[in-house]
Amino acid sequence: MERKHFLKSLLLGAFTTPVLLSACNNDADTVSPSEDTSGTGTVTNPGSSSSSCTVAPTETEGPFPTKAPASYVRSDITDGRTGYKMTAKLTIGNTNNSCAGLANAIVDIWHCDADGNYSEYGGSGMQSTNLQSVHFLRGRQVTDANGLVTFTSIFPGWYSGRATHIHVHIYNASGKSLKVTQIAFPEGTGSALSLVNGYNKGMSGYTYNSRDNVFSDDSAGVQIATVTGNTTDEFDLAIKLNVAA
Amino acid sequence: MANRIITLCYRKVIDSTATKPWDKLVFEDSYNEFKMQAQLYNQGKKYRTFAELLQNEPNAEKLHYLVSAAVIGYLQQLNEIIPDILNNLGKHFLKFEKFQFEIINSDLQDKTKHQVAFNFYTPPLVWHDTIQNYLLVSEKETGAGEILTNLFQLQAYLNIHSIHSEV
Repeated sequence: MERKHFLKSLLLGAFTTPVLLSACNNDADTVSPSEDTSGTGTVTNPGSSSSSCTVAPTETEGPFPTKAPASYVRSDITDGRTGYKMTAKLTIGNTNNSCAGLANAIVDIWHCDADGNYSEYGGSGMQSTNLQSVHFLRGRQVTDANGLVTFTSIFPGWYSGRATHIHVHIYNASGKSLKVTQIAFPEGTGSALSLVNGYNKGMSGYTYNSRDNVFSDDSAGVQIATVTGNTTDEFDLAIKLNVAA
Repeated sequence: MANRIITLCYRKVIDSTATKPWDKLVFEDSYNEFKMQAQLYNQGKKYRTFAELLQNEPNAEKLHYLVSAAVIGYLQQLNEIIPDILNNLGKHFLKFEKFQFEIINSDLQDKTKHQVAFNFYTPPLVWHDTIQNYLLVSEKETGAGEILTNLFQLQAYLNIHSIHSEV
């Protein structure tokens, strides 16, 4: 396909209007718990300093612990996962302020790798001490003055039953949840989705947006991002998500 | 004679009574992360405790893993040495290769109910002998001849996690 034609079709296919997602958690108060959690039978007195007759530590103190941010806090969330590079730019707007950019919002994203797998515990739940990639393709950034966060990642793969998507959780600066949502991808000839073509899986059995249980009600396409770029350099994803803050 | 090869598991419980700096940082940051991540499974704000979340939202089981991101940085600061457990000279001697982080209890409105644990798993050790309530162990990868050993006491929260015999 001619590059010019491809870019044009991308632009046409990916036209999006800003999203209006308003929080509607108006439920009244929380239910008070009917039982004490200490009833679950756990020990409340950890035993490292029990009365056992062991010697006391006799070592030089340290290393001194320092405050460490969650391992989610980074812009590049690739962690060695292979796939087509993708830069994702999410702008968070505030519906209570004419959808102007919301500064200092905390934005978590997570998505699956090229094979459709998420980073999470395996069967035994044990993680090795090679801690570098435990939380691959999961990241957290704080929005700048314009409400923008930028992540470097790979174009997500897909798994049975779902269209390609990115999960997003938006919090205010103090960590209060404002919105949990998902980003969908434009489809059709010339779209990034068709260029990536499901990586090694192909697209046989793929669930398109219209049949996806999350996106099928989004007839206006407000959850669909704009995705430009190419397989040689990178893809660039952009979307605006508005929340009531 | 066959060698008995064991791995140990030390379960380090951290709660609001923590006094050491490392423990307090883990307590604070894991609680804050729990409050953030729990909202994923509590959209209606119906639940208050971790137990309620688990009972009503099966996916809340993932919170163990999701909250662990808040403490990864602190694990790295340990340099793969298991804390607290000492040999009879008063020195830390156990390394860990694997770990599992768990939330034991928590409460979105009562921080004092928050309680987490690390399970640290050692690499294989040779269990040479038992002297009263002390175990004599050495690292598995040692050459012929003299073997350096560690003597340590059986104690609460320290378990022999696995055992097998090797000729």
